[in-house]
Amino acid sequence: MNGIERVKLECKSLHQYLCTLPQALLESLYEHPATCTVVFRELPQLAKYYVMRVLFVDKPITKVAVTSWATNEARSEHTEAVAALCDLHVWNEVILPGGVSSAYSLSFTFRKNLQKTLIGGGESWSSTAHLGPDKHAKDVAELDKYATERWEALLHFLVGSASNSAISQDLQDLLVQSGLIRVGEEDGRRYTNITAKGFQFLLLDSGSQVWFFVLEYLNWVRDRGMNLVPILRFIFELSFSSVGKVSKVCSLPNVTWSQSTKAKFLQDLPTDGKDDRVLQCLQHFREMGLVMQRKRTSRRFYPTRLVINIASRMQNSSSSALSTGFIIAETNYRIYAYTNSELQYAILALFCEMLYRFPNVCVLQLTRESVQTAVVNGITADQILHFIRANAHPDMLKNDPVIAPTLADQVRLWAMERDRLTFQEGVLYNQFLAQHDFEVLRNYARELGALVWENAAKRNMIVTKDAHDQVKRYWKRYKKESGT
Amino acid sequence: MDPGEQQVLVVIFDVSPVWWGLKSLQGQAHITKFFDSLIIFMNSYLMLHSDNKLAVIASHSTKSIFLYPPPQAGNEQNSSEYGDCRDKHFAVVDNAIISSFKTLMSDGCEEKDMRSDSLIAGSMANALCYIHRITQELESRERASSRILVVKAADDAASQYMSFMNVIFAAQKEHVVVDSCVLGQDSGLLQQACDMTGGLYLKVPSQYAFLQYLLTAFLTEPELRKDSLVLSRTKSLHSVDYRAACFCHRCLVEVGFVCSVCLSIFCQFSPICSTCETVFRPSSLVLKSRKKRKVPSRSSSPCTDASIK
Repeated sequence: MNGIERVKLECKSLHQYLCTLPQALLESLYEHPATCTVVFRELPQLAKYYVMRVLFVDKPITKVAVTSWATNEARSEHTEAVAALCDLHVWNEVILPGGVSSAYSLSFTFRKNLQKTLIGGGESWSSTAHLGPDKHAKDVAELDKYATERWEALLHFLVGSASNSAISQDLQDLLVQSGLIRVGEEDGRRYTNITAKGFQFLLLDSGSQVWFFVLEYLNWVRDRGMNLVPILRFIFELSFSSVGKVSKVCSLPNVTWSQSTKAKFLQDLPTDGKDDRVLQCLQHFREMGLVMQRKRTSRRFYPTRLVINIASRMQNSSSSALSTGFIIAETNYRIYAYTNSELQYAILALFCEMLYRFPNVCVLQLTRESVQTAVVNGITADQILHFIRANAHPDMLKNDPVIAPTLADQVRLWAMERDRLTFQEGVLYNQFLAQHDFEVLRNYARELGALVWENAAKRNMIVTKDAHDQVKRYWKRYKKESGT
Repeated sequence: MDPGEQQVLVVIFDVSPVWWGLKSLQGQAHITKFFDSLIIFMNSYLMLHSDNKLAVIASHSTKSIFLYPPPQAGNEQNSSEYGDCRDKHFAVVDNAIISSFKTLMSDGCEEKDMRSDSLIAGSMANALCYIHRITQELESRERASSRILVVKAADDAASQYMSFMNVIFAAQKEHVVVDSCVLGQDSGLLQQACDMTGGLYLKVPSQYAFLQYLLTAFLTEPELRKDSLVLSRTKSLHSVDYRAACFCHRCLVEVGFVCSVCLSIFCQFSPICSTCETVFRPSSLVLKSRKKRKVPSRSSSPCTDASIK
């Protein structure tokens, strides 16, 4: 797999992301109680208790005292917790006036705002109370439908399927920058192509996809020199708007959600530049389907289930896909996909050939050409197999192994066919005058491990490029010695 | 310490009117101050994880009342009132607790409420039932770790001994940890409860330190507390009072009589067991010797007390 770019899609957790931010930015983030709570929840367990322990203690705590909090068995967790606190600048190291021992003190802003969250006070959070009831209130099903539609439009664009729901230039830029698609030009026509990273992205469950995308969005925003703080704050607040309901939705499936999904509205938006950005961000999120706003000018919007996914994603990073599988792959390389989703067809079409389509199922064929096209596009055989396995139909999951070995092997073999040729740069040595000269030089090159190829009859040999200089020097010395 | 594990905490707050009234008259403690601290503690608990579940029970001298979740509204209130954001969620919880607390306080107390103890055992039984229901509801998901925190003010009542013991055993069986924070005198019953369920027993010396005690010691999960945190210099619990209360006069006894059939404990010999009505008709000699067989004063638990006979 040498010729193909090998990329790994990395998806940071919130904690990791925050650690990359500079301290000043973090400090200004902590100005907001919601952010503090989110950050607090992201801390390792032990660290949470440490914060709570000193929350109402105004004095810095000496390092020695902190060390004595944990038992010896939990030393590693303790170190991890303290490191996490310091990385996020929740705890800052200070030197006590005595100058002897250093101590930790809880960040002032963080302390103040966390206390505010607990005790109350401060300005109230945004609400739509003053707007009165929404005439166009939406229920859960509609919100879900909307969210899925928007998100699938994005994915459609990614797989490059012909779809009339185009996406805006901003999001296209974002996709390009995050390396999910590649833009090329052919005959004056712009075309986009999914990259290997993009394919890996498609394989993620939607929660991870949204989180990855939000992270990329933040980077994108940052690269444009926009102020991250209000946007991060907005995202945190948005994710909070639903956190309280996540568990509810899971445990009581029958509860109608609309009541609890009270419309949230950014209250009192002043028209300074900062909040314009938030509004812009809102429009982007609206396009992705993270929020639902009836009209661009509408004064309220609803967070959708995708934002809930961000929140739950932040809490446990290994959220598995809840949807059941739909693919049956047979040993005759046929694939039956029991789904109505255009998107899934489009993804499958990346590496299969479509044979028949029926209302609820389509039949595809894995062929040598289709697999190799996929490989040319940067998709690996393992990714194809992983996708099939991850979306396998329950009936197929009963098999052990899930994918028949013949099928898996064949896909790998087809992919490997692309790798028959390996390219290596080298230097050709020819026109040796004597067989002996040739043999001396060949033996020397072979000892070096630099000999790529030789033909003794024609007295040709190829030496790797790195070793060329050394071989040449040897040859000159040899000539001189033999000449004298 | 699986982060996905859900936590259930039931806080039992002792609101014995007699004890608090006395303290308030003496100017030593005010119930409202403690209640404020308790609310902050509960908010902190909710802040730890969004899945954390909370219930609050007020233990009056003749009744125990659910302050949260409010009993009358039931489930639907729960789901619809979870506010839009966390801050609001706290507010909803706090308001519910405070309003039902106010109602409880303004109801006043009647003649029959004038007792020096409060219905801790009853409240704990309520708490266990609540925990049981919650865990049943979550059946499909992973096991929840559940905990009861008793904030006890009034003195122990030996009359509750039986029900208390039953509650402790039930808690032990359900793997519910009982923590207790004692404001007044040491409570032998709670010491036993904490010791047997692996909980933490603490006596809080001053009302000003109450919140710090709560945040430091009682916010932590029992497992974490056991494994990785050092909470006190002395490892073991100093002398747990394991005396049992007799069934006839409800007084704590170190030495007593045990029915050989049902293991009831009596402080005096009686020819017929009042619990299982077994008639003891041994000859006077055996009777004498039986009388002399005494329960060892301080053994490890009441169960063994009884089985030794």
